[in-house]
Amino acid sequence: MSIFWISVGMGLAVAAILALSAVAFTLEYAVSRVVNLAHGEVLTIGAYAAYVAENTFHQSIYVCAAVATIFGALTGVALNFFLIERFRNQKSLTTLIATLGASLILQNLLLIGFGGASVSYAFAQGNLLHVGPFYWTTLTIEVMVSAVVVAGLIYVLLQRTRLGKALRAVSQNRDLARVSGIPARRVVMQTWAVAGAVSGFAGFLYGETIGTITPSVGNGFLLLSITAAVGGGLGRPYATFGGAIVLGLIMSIAGTYTSSAYQLVVAFGFLVVMLLIKPNGIFVRGRAQTVRA
Amino acid sequence: MLQYWTAILTEAAIFSVLALGIDMIWGWAGDFDLSAYAYFALGVYVTIVLTVGKAKPPVEYILGLRLPYLLAVFIAVVVVVAFASIIGAIALRSLREVYFSITTLGAVWAIYYLVENFTPLFNGYNGVYGLFDPMGSGLSYALYHYLFLGFCLLSLFVVYLVVQRLSRSPFGRMVRAVRDDEHAASVYGRNVFWAKYRTYLFGAGLAGFAGGLFAAYIGAFNPLDWKPTEIFVLYAAILVGGRGNPRGVVLGSFIVYVGFVEMTRYIPSPAARPELGPALRQILIGLLIILMLKFRPNGLLPERLGTDGTVGRRSWRDFFSRSKPPAQDEGAELLPGASGGGAS
Repeated sequence: MSIFWISVGMGLAVAAILALSAVAFTLEYAVSRVVNLAHGEVLTIGAYAAYVAENTFHQSIYVCAAVATIFGALTGVALNFFLIERFRNQKSLTTLIATLGASLILQNLLLIGFGGASVSYAFAQGNLLHVGPFYWTTLTIEVMVSAVVVAGLIYVLLQRTRLGKALRAVSQNRDLARVSGIPARRVVMQTWAVAGAVSGFAGFLYGETIGTITPSVGNGFLLLSITAAVGGGLGRPYATFGGAIVLGLIMSIAGTYTSSAYQLVVAFGFLVVMLLIKPNGIFVRGRAQTVRA
Repeated sequence: MLQYWTAILTEAAIFSVLALGIDMIWGWAGDFDLSAYAYFALGVYVTIVLTVGKAKPPVEYILGLRLPYLLAVFIAVVVVVAFASIIGAIALRSLREVYFSITTLGAVWAIYYLVENFTPLFNGYNGVYGLFDPMGSGLSYALYHYLFLGFCLLSLFVVYLVVQRLSRSPFGRMVRAVRDDEHAASVYGRNVFWAKYRTYLFGAGLAGFAGGLFAAYIGAFNPLDWKPTEIFVLYAAILVGGRGNPRGVVLGSFIVYVGFVEMTRYIPSPAARPELGPALRQILIGLLIILMLKFRPNGLLPERLGTDGTVGRRSWRDFFSRSKPPAQDEGAELLPGASGGGAS
């Protein structure tokens, strides 16, 4: 039984980061109706930005986190401005293919800039703590706490601010929002900045947790983010959050009882099963006949 | 130099077959399938394990037979189609467009990690190898490769003829009608799922066949050198050539493949930075995809739908005299153009 609880604890640590990344992904989808396959690269850019701040400029962990967040936001804005808005009137499938191209470009720019060898932060992993039935390191706890704080900030942003209200309106119908006086373009841009910032921060947390950063680190995480978002409910931040927690737990528990190598196989198996039985997401009511974007 | 061109043309021919398969699913049926790589890889794997003989420890893989090459390729295609029938049934039943692409993306990575980690299947990370001269010709190295180039070009030609024929057949027109308007097509009594499903299986089969050819060409396959991103170049090729037009797809494959391979030769790739050349190549592919989508989404040789929504014959003469409008038959204005059903 204790092994079970340890894997649950690890699952929560993964789920915390995954939730941030997936919520950012789902916000992008909500306002732009785009499955952003370059989302993983935003995480990678955040991770590398923090690495440069830490390794070259010897900054503290807080400064590194801020740098990752800022670079993530800049990348998000740039993606929206140079790519997504250019394909705004196209079918969402066309935009998906365009983001596939963007993902190739960004990933290989990182490869040229930083080389293929993995790098890592020099932050201390902290001590192993025994919290209730869970085993966590100080670092994992910091990661989880900061993820919860960021999730709370996103909640406040969505429910309590003008931007959040405008964002929800735009995500339901951009044209209607525009005719009721909401500056849709600006709201979309701000949403991409928020999503990029959250992604960059998540990339930093991920790099810190797994300890190695490569140019393709975010791309592996992209698939998990998609799985969490689609599993929970694509375009719905809270449903996505729930999906990420469920996915993190499933992966960790399955990894403990089979082999960690099959974690990702289990994750995508989960995605396919979810799409089959509940394509709108676990946390969304109702059932669609044919699901299209 | 001659051997160099033999190698490039062989690869271009094999990838043209693969591109024709991908284009059936993407161009004709409108389903952007990201798992085509899995069918290609499975075709390679099955062909190799059926022809190279028993595995010697520590190498391990299933089967390990010594079948004749052509029979092995045939079995590989059957296996791939059987496999695609499962994924296609899942992905096409009720999922369309972006959701379809996500499903196939999930499927391809699940398979990728499974093959990479489950060594008894295809020897995991290290991959399978050892296939050379599968037809047992006993020729010299150079002569064998010329012969194999001929075989690949012949295969491409036959596949092209079949696909072109199919493209203009009632089936090809029906699939496009389903793509353009599912509801209209189903009102006219077409089974939407069945139309898309058959196209999917045919395209996957072509991908498996391309894998069979590729197995004999490189003789080895492992998941580290052949990531799913390796075939993104073909999406660029299809976009350059023209989605939905078999002739355009073959043209685009040769242009992009030969063009890119040629170009990367001149990119300096110093020994200290071996990743530079391939990385620049991938960046160019990404740029090409985005720019084609934005500025020339129909490619060099667009799929041409006639005034009644069918796919017309397109000759080289049309290509050079584009300024002349196509002859219109009487009452053509009454029929809406490409957006109409045309389910015949």
